[in-house]
Amino acid sequence: MDTIVSNAITFFLISNPIGNSPLVLAMVKRFPFEKQKHILLREGIFSLIVALFFQYLGAVFMQALHLDPFTVSLCGGFVLFVTALRMIFNKDEGLEKEEASLQEPYFVPIAIPLLSGPGLLSIIMIKSQAVNNSLYVSASVILAFIGVIGIMIAAPYLKKLLGERGLAALEQFMGMILGLISMGMLVRGASLFYQTLGA
Amino acid sequence: MNLFSVALILFLIMDPIGNISSYLSLVKTLPPARQRWVLLREMLIALSAILLFNFVGEFIFHVLELNDVTLQMAAGVILFFTACKILFVTKDNPRANLPVGEPFVIPLAIPLIAGPSLLATVMLYAHLEPSIPLMLGSIFAAWGAATLVLFFANQIKKILGNNGLIACERIMGIVLILLAIQRIGEGIQLFVKGL
Repeated sequence: MDTIVSNAITFFLISNPIGNSPLVLAMVKRFPFEKQKHILLREGIFSLIVALFFQYLGAVFMQALHLDPFTVSLCGGFVLFVTALRMIFNKDEGLEKEEASLQEPYFVPIAIPLLSGPGLLSIIMIKSQAVNNSLYVSASVILAFIGVIGIMIAAPYLKKLLGERGLAALEQFMGMILGLISMGMLVRGASLFYQTLGA
Repeated sequence: MNLFSVALILFLIMDPIGNISSYLSLVKTLPPARQRWVLLREMLIALSAILLFNFVGEFIFHVLELNDVTLQMAAGVILFFTACKILFVTKDNPRANLPVGEPFVIPLAIPLIAGPSLLATVMLYAHLEPSIPLMLGSIFAAWGAATLVLFFANQIKKILGNNGLIACERIMGIVLILLAIQRIGEGIQLFVKGL
């Protein structure tokens, strides 16, 4: 029981919903309030599914496609970096109205790689190898995601606090923060890659 | 490399699940019997392009005096940008600007199924993998699976719904970026070893 709770807290902290909630709010600010809650609930469930998938099949998946660990970090970093650039330079405005509806965040970038990022996925894979009963790890993942999803759904209420202008400013600021997070992932991926060069 | 891995990678790069909505919008004006016939024809065209590159690849490789590094990097970079177009929707997306009318060769066979990224990957594997039966086996397995997926496109769309299809497209985009980064990484590893 102790390990379930402590693992759940670890997963919760790595997924970092509290730090991420202004980020995702800035990403969905174009949508009406109810729609935002709907999107964030869906993305939360998606990221839970991805986390559980990686717990059981992550190693098989990586091996079947001959993927090295550095790819996950580099991929996550790259995707978030492009998202950050779009947030800062507002590329969405060039798109047509119909295409803007396609731009609704679906899986990318909120579910993966923001909530279920490379860090979370790799630590889930490591924990499930260390603990012999994989159901315990699943229980902690689910417990952690109850918290994550709860905070995600609460994120739209921040809008009431900040107002329209506040949100526009938040988007710029959060784009910068996201740039930092993505650079962190890219650098981690690059150093993992560098280690493979020596071998 | 085993048959399963190569077949799976080729299947993912063909990306039939991500192409379902493009395929359906291309053939929606045609009667169902005609749709199946068009699908079969386009898939056979795609298969011949793939087989062509499987066998002629080595020849191109020698004529252009390529080496393993260039091939790895090119396959990786092309796949990378193709996947970016899937993941980050832009105006010049090949899936957003489908031509009207019955598809013939373009755009269903080439580039949606057998795009530059798939052909470069086939060339790469045909070069790396000495066993011809294994290559042919994986090409046919991947192609068969892709044809099945597109054949049942309507049913799959009914089950997943529009949003489900978008979600699948995005996941495939992420997986393709992973594959591309792996290719580029292997290319750099080879390059560093060769210095």
